[in-house]
Amino acid sequence: MDADLRPLPISTTVLLARFWRVLLFAGLLAVVLTGCATPPPADDPEALADYRQTNDPLEPTNRVFYAVNNGLDIVILRPAAQAYRFVVPGAVRTGIHNVLSNLGTPMQLSNDIMQGKPVRAGDTAMRFAINSTVGLIGVFDVATGWGYPNHDTDFGLTLANWGVPDGPFLFLPVLGPSNPRDAAGFGVDLVQDPFTWIGSSTALTVVNWTRFGLNALDSRERYLDPVEQIKKTALDPYATFRSLYRQHREGQIKELRDDRRATVPVWFPQAQPNAAPSPAR
Amino acid sequence: MLNRRAISLLGLGFVLSAPTRPAMAQTAGDRAAAFVKSTGDRLLAAMHGGGSVEDRRKTLGPIIDSAIDVDGIARFCLGRFWKNATADQQKRYTDLFHQVLIGNITSRLGEYQEVKLTIGRSQTRDDNDIVSTVIERPNNPPATVDWVVANAVSSPKVIDVIAENTSLRQTQRNDYAAYLTRNNNDVDALIAAMAAQLTQN
Repeated sequence: MDADLRPLPISTTVLLARFWRVLLFAGLLAVVLTGCATPPPADDPEALADYRQTNDPLEPTNRVFYAVNNGLDIVILRPAAQAYRFVVPGAVRTGIHNVLSNLGTPMQLSNDIMQGKPVRAGDTAMRFAINSTVGLIGVFDVATGWGYPNHDTDFGLTLANWGVPDGPFLFLPVLGPSNPRDAAGFGVDLVQDPFTWIGSSTALTVVNWTRFGLNALDSRERYLDPVEQIKKTALDPYATFRSLYRQHREGQIKELRDDRRATVPVWFPQAQPNAAPSPAR
Repeated sequence: MLNRRAISLLGLGFVLSAPTRPAMAQTAGDRAAAFVKSTGDRLLAAMHGGGSVEDRRKTLGPIIDSAIDVDGIARFCLGRFWKNATADQQKRYTDLFHQVLIGNITSRLGEYQEVKLTIGRSQTRDDNDIVSTVIERPNNPPATVDWVVANAVSSPKVIDVIAENTSLRQTQRNDYAAYLTRNNNDVDALIAAMAAQLTQN
């Protein structure tokens, strides 16, 4: 009887599914309670153009979630990140960051392939092979020095490369600034992550949650100073984060699209798509 | 023998022609790059120099005013509200904008000790020259910073700084626009908020 009643270890997949259900419910509730942004009157074309460019019809709701996230951050995440910075020496933090980044390479590789970027996919594969072995399970990033640099990628970028527009701005609980495209991309990346599917033993659940927690600490620690600076200098931090998020994503998409490095060997006659057009003679 | 002489003549020719080549290659892009280099060096020297925060603010002020088109950036940041503001509001806003900008830079001086600035390639976009640089700080990953320079040939001025793909003036404009929209488009409210921010820092 005792054995039957013991709670089963909750796997990350089950918990994430529950998390999304709660999130969706909270989101719908918030939209119903706070409503949508009021567009400016039609006789003010400049204000209307600004409103369209801002593309944040759910702004009242988004601001509620921004306030909630900010509160949680001040109470939990920021102090935790400050403690992490204070206790763990810089070199160790870099090692932890490298291990976490190395664990993300399978997901990165499948996105590189879906984006149709063979050289990026090659970089990622070499990074995984080199850093997992010579780099001692990813602690040291040897691959960058050997000519295989890291690059940002996720399924949101894959969708963007396929021509999917970002849609209106969203500020999601816990996850922060986003949009429908990137939020969908986040879900797909979880599904693409092999660690989601390995199994549901207690040990693995512990490993997965440790990884999740360390990831949160690691990224928050890296943004401690910039976030502090923005909150101090911005008159409207929410709007500033919204602007920065959009510009950052656009920059990543541009870098991805402009990366047209060829896979032809060096000795083979090269077509050079990246070369500047020759001046007219 | 002849061969050796030919080579040395060739070398001599190369050396003699060398001083004239930079002059020939003085395109707008090169000038913009040289301008960013000298501005960066002056700013870094002022930041590294000792003295109180007030002293450094005094040294930085003239450098910023001569190298950066602060008035133009201020007007850009107010966006559609500039036109509707009175001349007096425009003046008070621009004055405050100068002080806020210098204040923001001096308050971050500590972060820019031991900074290394490397000038990269420059390109032309929309009549402006964009000079790419890499800024390296100890314990930080290298950051790409693009400087947008207007009138590179006649009187160069920095009109925007794009750090890791995010434009400083665009971000500031979005910040002010959101603040104004939530405060009945009242420019005086924005001026009051900027003044309050100055006393805080």
